[in-house]
Amino acid sequence: MKSAIRSGALARLFLVAGFGVAVSAMPANAQKAGGSITVGLELDIPGFDPLKVGVYDTAALTASSAIFDTLTTLDANGKPQPKLALSWSSSEDFKTWTFKLRPGVKFHDGTPFNAEAYKANFDRQKDPANKCRCAFYISNVNNVQAPDELTVVYNLNDPQVNWPSLVSYASQNSAVHSPTAWKTKGEDYNRNPVGSGPYVLKSWTAGDRMILEKNPDYWDKDKVYFDRITLKPLPDAQSRFASLQSGEVDLIWDDEFSADNIQKAQKDSKLTVHTYAGSGAAVYAMNTKTPPFDDLRVRQAIVMALDRKKMSQAITNGLSRPASNPYGDGSWVKCKDDGALPEDLEKAKALIKDYGKPVEFKMLVTATPRGRTVGQVLQQLWKRAGINMEIEQVDQATIPPRAFMRQFQMTPWRIVDLADPDIQMYANFHTGSPVALANYSNPGLDKLLEQARVTADQNKRVELYCEISRHINKEAIWFWTFQNTYYAISSAKLKGLPKMYSGVIDVSRTWKE
Amino acid sequence: MAFFVARRLLYLVPVLIAVSLLTFLIASLLPGDLAYTILGDQATPENVAALRRDMGLDQPIWWRYLSWLGGVLQGDFGRSFRTGQTVLQAVAERLPVSIELMLLAQLGALAIGVPLAIICAARSGGPFDRFMTGTAFGMLSVPTFLSAILLIYFFAVELRWLPATGYVPFAEDPAGNLRFMVLPALTLALAEWPGIMRVLRSDMIATLQEDYIALAKAKGLKASRILFVHALKPSSLTLVTITGINIGRLIGGTVIVETIFALPGIGRLLIGAIYTRDLIILQGVVLLVGAGFVIVNFIVDLLYAVLDPRIRHGHA
Repeated sequence: MKSAIRSGALARLFLVAGFGVAVSAMPANAQKAGGSITVGLELDIPGFDPLKVGVYDTAALTASSAIFDTLTTLDANGKPQPKLALSWSSSEDFKTWTFKLRPGVKFHDGTPFNAEAYKANFDRQKDPANKCRCAFYISNVNNVQAPDELTVVYNLNDPQVNWPSLVSYASQNSAVHSPTAWKTKGEDYNRNPVGSGPYVLKSWTAGDRMILEKNPDYWDKDKVYFDRITLKPLPDAQSRFASLQSGEVDLIWDDEFSADNIQKAQKDSKLTVHTYAGSGAAVYAMNTKTPPFDDLRVRQAIVMALDRKKMSQAITNGLSRPASNPYGDGSWVKCKDDGALPEDLEKAKALIKDYGKPVEFKMLVTATPRGRTVGQVLQQLWKRAGINMEIEQVDQATIPPRAFMRQFQMTPWRIVDLADPDIQMYANFHTGSPVALANYSNPGLDKLLEQARVTADQNKRVELYCEISRHINKEAIWFWTFQNTYYAISSAKLKGLPKMYSGVIDVSRTWKE
Repeated sequence: MAFFVARRLLYLVPVLIAVSLLTFLIASLLPGDLAYTILGDQATPENVAALRRDMGLDQPIWWRYLSWLGGVLQGDFGRSFRTGQTVLQAVAERLPVSIELMLLAQLGALAIGVPLAIICAARSGGPFDRFMTGTAFGMLSVPTFLSAILLIYFFAVELRWLPATGYVPFAEDPAGNLRFMVLPALTLALAEWPGIMRVLRSDMIATLQEDYIALAKAKGLKASRILFVHALKPSSLTLVTITGINIGRLIGGTVIVETIFALPGIGRLLIGAIYTRDLIILQGVVLLVGAGFVIVNFIVDLLYAVLDPRIRHGHA
């Protein structure tokens, strides 16, 4: 795999000039400071201590993007820009990344942000004694060093060309907490988080509202407009949308499953629908070690019998965007030929006939209304080709362990929107990975994956990932139904919402006209 | 009377033990494993085994029940593995919201149901009586999630008189608090008044045929005095029972209504605990709610005794 690094490739040095964050192309005089915003999210936020909550969900991420800072942030083109880090560079093999930090930044409790504080955050998550769920997502990081006050060095186990893009949103791993705060608050830290971000947690009533106030000492305070952000959990999709229509909230989270509301909002001049066509997709893995999926004909028939347009109509009023590869329109991987099999019912029937035995299998489905709907639609589609799928409803939490232990014939999975395809592609398809769910091993595919992760040239990587897609599509070990689309609906007066990378709704730099 | 109270209190003990046992069993027998939930993507067999040991999940179920019950008896209901809050903290934060909602809903249901029942009973078989009996029957079959959305649509989105979602504590802003509470309480009241109305109406019709009512009429007492003073109290025994049992239905209703109107009450806490497999919170809340229900019905039993001397003296 080291041979993949081409001799001509030199260490890349990304030096980004200036101290300010490059904001979107809005004219500078349009922003208006002051006022407040109320945001309707879906769920109650359990807390912010990575050791307690493990993973931040969508609701927590909206809050964490306001309370915490990260090393970098992604601009409208998906390129990393400075935030807590001013510049960065990598070693020749992309396994060591060095970040130069912004001086003079303070946490909300007045303690200084520096390399030591950053390292303390990482070490706490990585420490096996802490058994943090969050450690899974930094398993590629061997260690973090703080050689001086303003330098942080990441030592990775495997090369990562786009590392600065992967520490760009306030996830459980990348949000920087005040070490003093978690040490002094102990059990209470989870619900009393302290960061260095543009907003400070003012009050939080469980299940009702979280109030954030503008941080007067923020290093980038001129680009922060609202005095106050109120976050409310509004679990019911209908009343959440009604609250937006009646003006009680300014922005709500939404998803394709409430397609009616999204389509109503698109026709309403008082509302704006914010859409982000992300990378990744809703995907399914077939266990190729168990019949009937040990036979290529059956796997191909499964994929060819799909009718994604019809599915999209049935499930989300046609909002869902069909996926023919694991990358999606939101990715920089764009393929002229991704090798997608045609949706061809007759061919699927022929393949099944050729196979000669009855095709019956069980598919895991989450025991939620959404999971059941999708499962039933798939069941009907396959039935037309003479394939009998039985739905096995399981709890959401049951799917990962069943998947890890390969106790399934077919399981749903997801490839989430990330700035680089490597992490998920390598994990999902390289021989020996715990989430290589298809139980499929192919030296050619492994080699492509190894090459793609260490190649610096983006055009070459695109070619490699397209080759990977062609391989997987032809072998039909996984299939993709719909691309990831993220939604937020707001009052038309709200401006400045950045792209919802990884589905994060970051309102910390928005304003009202 | 003291004997009556003591005897009833004694009944409470086995009931509460049964509630705690059922709660614990239901939570423990849910499919899925708490260790997997907590570990998520990190659920390797070794991690799972270690965590199960730490949490005592490898112990036999009866042992886990007894140690949980032991904690509960000492006032320690445990702590949420997700938020770090203790059960008692979480319940104390949420309970006032739900109690206010249930009280307002119950008052609303009585305010609609009792007058209608009296009017219908006074003119039983008349057109108004028939119309209201039909309406009550119809209202009984309207689920709360439908009436909630309809109320939100008319009063919040179209007329904009009342907010669709949200909450402020009563202590912070009493008027604002009531504004937020009107629609959720009305939603629950709309589901509850038909039961109250139908029960009270039929009891009143029976009472109005008693001899002493005929006597009162013969004495020339005013019809309103007969209805409200002579007929209402003896007819309200079943009503009191219904009101007590309604508390159980209302607790169930709050789960839906609090979710739709985004009220930070017990119902939402419960739903959240179920979704996230927060079994410690789930067990604790169900036990406390169960105990609350049992105690309310104990108070209802005492009220019978006040209303009907025959029960008080043990002749019933």
